[in-house]
Amino acid sequence: MRKRHTTKDRLITVALHVALAAGLFFAAFPIYWMLTSSFKSNTEIFALPPTILPKAFTLEAYAAILGDPVKLRFFFNSYFVAFAVTVLTVLIALLAAYGFSRFNFRGKGSLNTLIISTQTIPPITLLIPFFGLVVSYRIFDTYTALILTYLVFTLPYAILLMTGYLNTLPRDLDEAVAVDGGTSWTALWRVIVPISLPGIVATSVYTFLLCWNEFLFALTLTKSTSMRTVPIGIQLLMGQHAFEWNQMMAMSVLGSLPLLLIYLIAQRFFLAGMTAGSVK
Amino acid sequence: MAEVILENICKTYGNSFRAIDRLNLSIEDGEFLILVGPSGCGKSTALRMIAGLEDITSGSLRIGGVDVVDMPPKDRDIAMVFQSYALYPHMTVFENIAFSMRLAGKPKAERKKRVDEIAKTLQLTSLLDSKPANLSGGQRQRVAMGRAMVREPAAFLMDEPLSNLDAKLRVQMRAEITSLQKQLGVTTIYVTHDQTEAMTMGDRVAVLKGGVLQQVDTPKRLYESPVNAFVAGFIGSPSMNLFEATLTGDELTAGTFAIRLQDAAFARRPSLKSYAGRKIVFGIRPEHLYDSSLDSGRKYQTLPAKVTSIEELGSEHIVHLNIDAVRVDSGDPDAVKDFGLASNAVAKFEPESAVRSGSEIRLALDDTKLHFFDPETHVAI
Repeated sequence: MRKRHTTKDRLITVALHVALAAGLFFAAFPIYWMLTSSFKSNTEIFALPPTILPKAFTLEAYAAILGDPVKLRFFFNSYFVAFAVTVLTVLIALLAAYGFSRFNFRGKGSLNTLIISTQTIPPITLLIPFFGLVVSYRIFDTYTALILTYLVFTLPYAILLMTGYLNTLPRDLDEAVAVDGGTSWTALWRVIVPISLPGIVATSVYTFLLCWNEFLFALTLTKSTSMRTVPIGIQLLMGQHAFEWNQMMAMSVLGSLPLLLIYLIAQRFFLAGMTAGSVK
Repeated sequence: MAEVILENICKTYGNSFRAIDRLNLSIEDGEFLILVGPSGCGKSTALRMIAGLEDITSGSLRIGGVDVVDMPPKDRDIAMVFQSYALYPHMTVFENIAFSMRLAGKPKAERKKRVDEIAKTLQLTSLLDSKPANLSGGQRQRVAMGRAMVREPAAFLMDEPLSNLDAKLRVQMRAEITSLQKQLGVTTIYVTHDQTEAMTMGDRVAVLKGGVLQQVDTPKRLYESPVNAFVAGFIGSPSMNLFEATLTGDELTAGTFAIRLQDAAFARRPSLKSYAGRKIVFGIRPEHLYDSSLDSGRKYQTLPAKVTSIEELGSEHIVHLNIDAVRVDSGDPDAVKDFGLASNAVAKFEPESAVRSGSEIRLALDDTKLHFFDPETHVAI
């Protein structure tokens, strides 16, 4: 029997759509504004009333960014640091998570609690101690400073995420490898890692995003322009005398693109079913 | 191929829970031994200890004459089929079967030859390029078998390998595994909680309860001469009926009826006489109870019973009854299922039986098939 729609039902539907549209506008308008502004000239950006679509479509902001080796260096730095941290995080987290998930050892519970408790500390409170540590290690204004610091923030979460994932994989698989003549190491690399791709991808994306977007520590632990990352680079475009809004927006677009691409590529790995057919 | 010998094997967990208590078993070369028992009896733990997946707290374990207690699974020369199959989901059937050979560094040509042979035996040839996700339950089970066979081990260990299959396929695979084992002649230890599997597949059956071995014998002898009330109740489906009675002279009296025992009963069990005037537990299998109105039941003595419900299976009727006697629990958690609230006995009648639910009948009983147990220890008399 078809359900009859009453006036009240229709009103609720309309209200719901209005609320959703308002939400969409709030979320999407900044992105729209970033995109359109990046194709405007700086003069047009300052025009009043503001133009919704660029009157004179121009790529001058992109040319200024991509043609300037200093600004390209920001991108290289961001990529390098984010990539290095992601690889190290995934490797270390995978080994730690395998230990937590598959072995019993003294202090396992306490160690787990310790890792979880690190998540409760607001990173900003550690800014000054880290600054002191980095300076005393003589690694201030280096990639090493950023990579080591970021690892401190990415590892606990990554270990928890990976442990949770590995716990869902049947232990029979490890035991099957043991009976087939392999060690725990064989089980990890030949069986567990290949079927953990969804977990690894999720951890990698999270880690990469965290590093790519990080501003505060990148600002504090580096000094020279050649060591700055994209978020600091955008901020540097706010000069004392001029605000290069169109370049800032173009750089923001270029800075967002890799994240968008990563999401699109990684999406298929998030789909469940990697262990289908393994057990039962 | 090899014999597997367990001597005084114990398994105690950290919280001092003893999962296996002094298990002694000797499995001959090429023998098919079934480890059976209710859930939590320690049968899987025992198998995992033989495999090396579980530490042995104390005792000795020899496979092919070699003490393997301190050896990792890979050095024990065993292969295992897991209850869940544990196939590697990212590998094809070929890669799954060949995995152990690859780890052993066997050349590609040798791997291919061996896997092809096994695939042919298990009718998996057309599926070698498929992933486990695309296989049916029965096919996955075969791949798991193939993975075990490829190693040409001294012993096969199988942990409830058929429990995930539907009833029809289970019967088919039961026969396939049995004939494969005979064909290969490899010593096999097979864990199950299904006593039908135990009775139909194994050369011998070891019954475990609470980590303690109760009896190890051929299926026929387990059925005919159980050593205690637990084995009596566990082996056979539906379970053996066990009741409390008093032995008075040559009669068993319980409630309002008495069963007269023949001299042969006492001759076979000399210690039975010592229970005269005392309580005793007697057992009778459902298939040794008859409908007294049919030819098959006329020659036996009878006792009054009330039919509470009937399951008509076509080839036989499972009749739930109530008799005037106190039922004895064999200690098998699965046996409780056979008794409804209103019934305390179960019988297998021929399909010609016309008894109806709710009717009062005379239940015929073949007294030569009675089993007797000590009321305290439940040990067979």
